[in-house]
Amino acid sequence: MAQPLTTASVPTDIYGGDEVSALVLDAGYCQTRAGFAGEDVPKSVLPSFYGSIKDTNAASGSRNVFGEDYIFARPDFEVKNYMSRTESVVEDWDTAVQVWESMLLDRLQPERRQTQPSKNGLNDGADGEGDVSMEDAAASAENAENAEKPLAESPLLMTEAPWNQGKAREKAIEIAMENWGCPAFWLSRTPVCAAFAAGKASALVVDVGGANTSVTAVHDGMILKRSIQKSHVGGIWLSNQIRSMFDSNDPKIEVRPSYMIESKVPVDAGAPSQAILRKLNYELHPSFRAYEDERLLTEYKESVVEVWRGPGRYSNPGNEELVKTQPGRIFEMPDGSNQMWREQRFRVSEGMWDETAQLPTASEEERITKAQTVPELIRACLNAVDVDLRPNLLGNIVVTGGTSLLNGFNDRLNNELMAMYPGMRVKLHAAGLTTERRFGAWIGGSILASLGTFHQMWISKKEYEENGAGIVEKRCK
Amino acid sequence: MTSHDVREMLNLPGEGGGPRPAKKQKTSIARQNLKGLAREVQNLGGDNPIAIVPEISSFKKRRFGSRKPAARWEMRPFRNSARGDESLILRHWRRKTDVQPPAAPQPEQQQNGQPDEDKMDADNGESKPEEMEDSSFAKFNVKVDVPQYSEDQYNSTLANNDWTKDETDYLMEAVRDYDLRWPIIWDRYDYQSKDGDASTDSNTAVVQARKARTLEDLKARYYEVAAKMMAVQRPVQYMNQAEYNLHEIMTSFKPEDEMRRKKFAEAQMGRSKEEAREEESLLLEVRRILARTEKFNQERRELYNRLDYPTTETTQDLSTFKTSNGLHTLLQNLMTADKSKKRKSLMGTDGQSTPASAGPSAQPGSTPLAEQRRESIAASASGHGHSRHDSTASATDARPEKPTKKGAQPPERRKLTEQEELTYGVSTHDRLPSGPTFRYDRINKILTTKSNAQHARITNTLNELDVPARLTMPTKAVVDQMEHLLVNIQTLLDLKKLSDKFDAEIKLEKAKKAEKDKAAGIVPQPAASESATKGSSNGDTAKENGAAKKDGKKAGGDAVTSSTEKPAAGHDANGDKDTPNKGDEQASAEKPAGESTGADEEKAAVKDAQDKDTTNGVKQEIGTGEEKEERPSSSGGQKRSASVLSSVSDKSAKRQKK
Repeated sequence: MAQPLTTASVPTDIYGGDEVSALVLDAGYCQTRAGFAGEDVPKSVLPSFYGSIKDTNAASGSRNVFGEDYIFARPDFEVKNYMSRTESVVEDWDTAVQVWESMLLDRLQPERRQTQPSKNGLNDGADGEGDVSMEDAAASAENAENAEKPLAESPLLMTEAPWNQGKAREKAIEIAMENWGCPAFWLSRTPVCAAFAAGKASALVVDVGGANTSVTAVHDGMILKRSIQKSHVGGIWLSNQIRSMFDSNDPKIEVRPSYMIESKVPVDAGAPSQAILRKLNYELHPSFRAYEDERLLTEYKESVVEVWRGPGRYSNPGNEELVKTQPGRIFEMPDGSNQMWREQRFRVSEGMWDETAQLPTASEEERITKAQTVPELIRACLNAVDVDLRPNLLGNIVVTGGTSLLNGFNDRLNNELMAMYPGMRVKLHAAGLTTERRFGAWIGGSILASLGTFHQMWISKKEYEENGAGIVEKRCK
Repeated sequence: MTSHDVREMLNLPGEGGGPRPAKKQKTSIARQNLKGLAREVQNLGGDNPIAIVPEISSFKKRRFGSRKPAARWEMRPFRNSARGDESLILRHWRRKTDVQPPAAPQPEQQQNGQPDEDKMDADNGESKPEEMEDSSFAKFNVKVDVPQYSEDQYNSTLANNDWTKDETDYLMEAVRDYDLRWPIIWDRYDYQSKDGDASTDSNTAVVQARKARTLEDLKARYYEVAAKMMAVQRPVQYMNQAEYNLHEIMTSFKPEDEMRRKKFAEAQMGRSKEEAREEESLLLEVRRILARTEKFNQERRELYNRLDYPTTETTQDLSTFKTSNGLHTLLQNLMTADKSKKRKSLMGTDGQSTPASAGPSAQPGSTPLAEQRRESIAASASGHGHSRHDSTASATDARPEKPTKKGAQPPERRKLTEQEELTYGVSTHDRLPSGPTFRYDRINKILTTKSNAQHARITNTLNELDVPARLTMPTKAVVDQMEHLLVNIQTLLDLKKLSDKFDAEIKLEKAKKAEKDKAAGIVPQPAASESATKGSSNGDTAKENGAAKKDGKKAGGDAVTSSTEKPAAGHDANGDKDTPNKGDEQASAEKPAGESTGADEEKAAVKDAQDKDTTNGVKQEIGTGEEKEERPSSSGGQKRSASVLSSVSDKSAKRQKK
């Protein structure tokens, strides 16, 4: 009898999947994502920025709060990031552990916390904030000591930037094994994961993220180290370009995040804002302002900025005139001032492709050179791999990262590559869903960790104990 | 009512009584199957049961029907035998089987892989690990075989100046680690010489200098080692086919060739846009050429097929075609043969012409309109026929003009007499220019194609002849005559030019002769010279006459035919007629007078006129010499010719005037 297979009897083996309730953690400069392997979207996505509150009563210093919900205007509050801006690798390990624990333990496994009401913070009357996810460094250390290891049941797969150093990798496995007691651990590189998310074992991964843009060749599930190309052209660089554009605009446009606004009234396009600003009776740390500005600019990027699709550069004669004739986009600032953006929205993103078109930047290191533009990164990357691989790589270009969601990015990239490699088959693979593009590396990690054939790869706890932290260098190549 | 009943009513033979009961049974069976269908509706189908699949709407019933207890699932630990350590015990959800006691795997106890295993080992010694399931993916774990060698083997067979044993080991390790994925091996290859002692210092320095090994170097070394170790383990002559092939491939690896290939590949990648485009277009062209040859071949094949006449079984026996029925079948055969060859164009006209071809003989007025129109166009395009006549005449006459299209049955055609053709204005042409033209254009074309000077001369001549350059009534005959006239004028002018040239040459020769004579000291003889000039002029005129006669004959012939139809042109042509007639007269008069000489002279003159060569000057002199001798004997002829001469010279004087 041909009966439809129930979910119970469907052979998962045909997909090569074998779930072992693994966790996947993907840390970036702008966001940190964590979730269960086998799912298509990370359960928990937090900004890598965290709030540090100076304790007024205690000399101990500060306590940290994690998550967007806890970053709001308050006194003695500083916004920090545990990742390195230039490298996108962990800088502040202590905080990194806190952030990760708050995600992997509190957010992914809330029932675990409920068993320990004394620890979950709900009953702490002392701090009036009621931060459920707030993690006290001291408390967590205490936690690790007396309780059984919190992640003893779940293997953990972490991603890392391809240029990550051996020290950092060893530190990661140490934390996973010692602090959390993971039965198994694996460290995978983001380009490999992004390629897996696109269903490819060999690909040229163009990852245009928040702090960095990296281009890496992946062959058979391994990165080619010589091909790694990195540039700071990314979301934050683009924000700075927008700031520069705002400054040079006439009249100058003020970036006022919504926390500064008490109330606003609608005004005509181009008219100055008539909003009433909020008056704070305490001093705000500039980092908070910067964080809020960045959020506002991100919104601007998402809704206004567009990439000139080509062919040719935006600065070619005629292009700007053409754009001026086309309908622009209106963006209303939180203070109510609004304006139609036409050619400017193309100009800010042009520096990614054409270094001569970039707007003046505040600092010299913000400036990008020709070698740091996206097409040149790809060219350099391809030149660093074997000739035989190049056609295949060009035919399998995986575009990932949140900044690649800019309108027209893929068209432009395609045009640039076609011009650079005429006669070659250039094919871009960019996920259509925004989540898949933003969490490409995490999704790839999720796929990898749920594969049945992957189980032989894990570094087990025993292996770690036998070989020490150095095993990660030997195994996770 | 079944089909059987219908057959019975119509007295159709159909099937007998035999199969009937069987059928009935069948339908009854079908009816039983189809529940919920009205009997009347089912009867509509007759013998064949209606193809309706009864809808089953038991979706929900089934869902709630199985009230089995929910399947139990458990977290079951498993190990993976493909792992190096085997100690890792992971757990996944599996359906609980009844065989296993539910208490055996206790999730609470298995917090950690390590203690769990220990516990199990302690609990029930060897039985438990055996029970633990192995990952079904362990079988996918495959490793490459990397050649192994001992220290001695290395020293005896593998030693290489370029490679230390240490580095070779490193390479083999990398090959094993990266499963022979050469791009990765090359990418990660980072050999640091371990022995930094002084003795090998210079050596290592060299190695350091050329440490940047290319992918080809690595491959070459590996294949060398692998091939040698293969040969060590089993000598080449004992290898089986597969092994031998592998060995052969590895030994024949040439890094230089590989490098050259890569250089080419790189150059190919670095092509400019234009080069790429050119290559693309060339490829496209090649493809097109290939496609064309294919098409050509196909057409040729088709042609060959067509050349085979349609094989009808009746070709041998002609008697079958003697009846109209037989002919009809033949026609059908041919048509189907045509159709099978996809000759639609021929088929179309052929099929249509059969009924149409019978039409004209019966009732000439009912020609298809399209054909009539085409006829009139053709007539006006030719510029000869009278379109008004055509439209009435074409009904019968036009049909024969395209007999080729009639195919199998050529229609009857009535032969028109010359008189009829003239009255109907029918003319036949080899080729017609496309589209309608004005007759007048033909005259204009002759005039406009000439150079300005020539054009002026022609118009002068026409003026002289009192023929207006613009025809008042360009009927067909008039235009024809005008055309002839213009051609003749052209010839006349050409000859005139020639004669002028000859005159000049003769004058020159004479002057030369006079000079020569003077030099020789001979006293000039005026009489001789006079006669010479006379003779020469005579010869000239004779020549002229010959040409004029030739022209005149044509013109006269034309004039005869056209005289009735053209009042104006005919009159003008008369003026022209005078001279040729006279030429004729002269020729006829000369013949009887000096039969031998005159004819000869004239022949020579005509010949001269025809060969428009400069060498004629010489001939001319011979001609004049001849005349000198002959003149005395044929005085009468001369007299006559003199009279002619006067008129001709008259004419030439007239021409000179121009």
